Amino acid sequence: MSDERETPTAHGAGPMIRELGKKLAQGEAGPLLVLLMVAAIWTFFQFQNDRFLSPGNLTNLMLQQSAVATISIGIVLILLLGEIDLSVGAVSGFCASVMAVLIVNNHLPPEVAALAALGLGAFIGLFNGFMVTRFRIPSFVVTLAGSLTLVGLQLYVLGETGTINLADNFVTRLTSTFFPPLISWAVAGLAIVLTLAFALAGRTRRARAGLSVGPLWSLLVGVGVIAASFAALVAVVNQDRGLPLVMVIVIVLALAFAYVTERTRFGRHMFAVGGNAEAARRAGIKIDHVRMLVFVLGSTLAAAGGVLAASRLTAVNQSSGGSDLLLMAIAGPVIAGTSLFGGRGTVWSAIMGAVVIGSIANGMDLLAYASSVKFIVTGAVLIAAVTIESVTRMRRRGTAAR
Amino acid sequence: MHGRRALRWFGAAALVMGIVVTLGGCSSGTPTGSTGTTGTAPAAGGLKIALLLPETKTARYETQDRPLFEAKVKELAPDAQILYSNANQDSAQQQSQADAALTNGAQVLVLDPVDSAAAASIVTKAKAKNVPVISYDRLILNAPVDYYVSFDNEQVGKLQGQALLDKITKDGNAGKTIVMINGAPTDNNAKLFKAGAHSILDGKVKIGVEYDTPDWSPDKAQTEMDQAITKLGKTGFVAVYCANDGTCGGAIAAMKGAGIDPKTRPTTGQDAELAGIQRILLGEQFMTIYKAIKAEANTAAELAVALGKGTGVPSSMTLSKVNNGQIDVPSVLLTPVPVTIDTIKTTVVADGFWTTQQILNTPALIAAGKAVGLQ
Repeated sequence: MSDERETPTAHGAGPMIRELGKKLAQGEAGPLLVLLMVAAIWTFFQFQNDRFLSPGNLTNLMLQQSAVATISIGIVLILLLGEIDLSVGAVSGFCASVMAVLIVNNHLPPEVAALAALGLGAFIGLFNGFMVTRFRIPSFVVTLAGSLTLVGLQLYVLGETGTINLADNFVTRLTSTFFPPLISWAVAGLAIVLTLAFALAGRTRRARAGLSVGPLWSLLVGVGVIAASFAALVAVVNQDRGLPLVMVIVIVLALAFAYVTERTRFGRHMFAVGGNAEAARRAGIKIDHVRMLVFVLGSTLAAAGGVLAASRLTAVNQSSGGSDLLLMAIAGPVIAGTSLFGGRGTVWSAIMGAVVIGSIANGMDLLAYASSVKFIVTGAVLIAAVTIESVTRMRRRGTAAR
Repeated sequence: MHGRRALRWFGAAALVMGIVVTLGGCSSGTPTGSTGTTGTAPAAGGLKIALLLPETKTARYETQDRPLFEAKVKELAPDAQILYSNANQDSAQQQSQADAALTNGAQVLVLDPVDSAAAASIVTKAKAKNVPVISYDRLILNAPVDYYVSFDNEQVGKLQGQALLDKITKDGNAGKTIVMINGAPTDNNAKLFKAGAHSILDGKVKIGVEYDTPDWSPDKAQTEMDQAITKLGKTGFVAVYCANDGTCGGAIAAMKGAGIDPKTRPTTGQDAELAGIQRILLGEQFMTIYKAIKAEANTAAELAVALGKGTGVPSSMTLSKVNNGQIDVPSVLLTPVPVTIDTIKTTVVADGFWTTQQILNTPALIAAGKAVGLQ
């Protein structure tokens, strides 16, 4: 109920937050709930071990979750359509394996091999999208069957040797590069200036279109909050190894796709198709084109996640992309408010979900909990988080109906 | 309204199925279709031996066990016929393959069970036809198995622990803190490795943090090591016990990520994976355990031919007893071999497990190989 009161204030707090909150606020619990969840998790682990919130560990958390967050961004796009892609784990493992084989066995330049992996991901997405749109096969069937094939192909390309090590190269540097303090500050400064510029441009555009605009001070406060969080982030990571390149990559990807979903015609079409495909079709939206493109983006981002995972491990093996990667990549955005059934969600939920799930895993490993405890706790937290999210949404809907 | 609800159930079902398949997929291998029994028409008077292997996901069964076993049988009994089947990780399929082998007149079953418990019924059927059963690599439980051929898995953990302890002591770090990264908590062999390592290390070093690694996942091992470093500090440990080469790769990646030179922290491994051998050559990993599949396949072949001909156990074999819940099974337990940078040439390369060409695939490896006489 308190969320109900938070939403209007969030609306006044500045265009960025308004943009971020807009879709979430319409029937979602809002990012505040997730932030509270993160705060609770962090407080708990910090009390258990005071190294949890150390700069080194927070940097580790970012590195550990970069691959999942990237894959989750693609999952959000697909969930917005009301579709599901159960092959993202297998796509990430297979594309990363192909990349490693191209680098180590075929001596291709790492940059080219990484691009080939992304291209391969796009092609797999195109195939999935084609099967879904042309033959009207439910996406979970196509992608589930596809993922078995991909796991087989992964075993095949890795061959007898199994694991392939990556020596120091472009790919491994994606996750082992840290910007020195001065450059980190410059990056943060640039981000702040860009945020301000976007916010002002958006405000001007609204004013010119004759829409209501909030007072200028609230915009400045909003940008100030974002600037402060960027500054805090840089201040923290500079105490350790510096700003990780991969962090910049993930944030830029999130910004880019947030822009695509919230500000472009294609983004509006995605929400339209996810909300009600038939209505979207009658409104003249080429729903099959939208679906195809979203599957391509989803698989390409999965491949990018696979490249980042390989970069972090400096190797690929038979289990790359396996284990609980798929579950975590889907659960993250859902915990943070993206609907499994289409039409509702934000790209930011991918990042926030990855932070929630990653913090739990990171903290439990820090405390060296037994595997039994880790499985039980992770499962329980996933269920609790989704329940809380669902209950607040039901309550919201209830008050709206009254 | 109905359509919408149905759609939701569909979505939920899809997610659950996806999860089940993904999680199941890690532990149970990939169903890739049956290879079936490849037996041929009975040759009059020839010895018939059935070789029943469990899966195709791990490369060893098709590329090592089968050809090595067949070669040794042909050498000992040129007129012998081998009925080969692979069950693709499906225990029901293995049952039918065993039935087919017995129907085909197999005189000895060499059985690597998909499911150690379920395979007991195969043994019962074979016994009814007076066909002896050799339990190969994995022990068949609660059944009157005739012989068991495998590696001593607890010995693997002991060898890893001893090698690490010797190295720590040599480095002047005796009694200091180490990190332990064990295998999958669901794997019985992982428990044996862990027990073996503890029996050597306990009391001699301090174990700062210890993890079991679900699915033997290298990625998870990396995260575990990240957190161990956070907990103990970069200088808070002198060595890392890793149960196999995959988890060792993860631990080494974590150390590199934290700015620790892996050469300064000895690590253990197992399986003599190509990636592991390459890390050893570069000095990043201290040791691995090589389980010579050749020795295992040869032993099983000798035993099978001896049983088929009724000549009794070859005198060269030392038998010990392993209890399988019903009887003490006479067992040949082979000793696994530790491999360090100095013994790569005399072990894995000498056996043809890996060729120098496979190992030396980067300039850095070629240079490192030259230093220890590998080229």
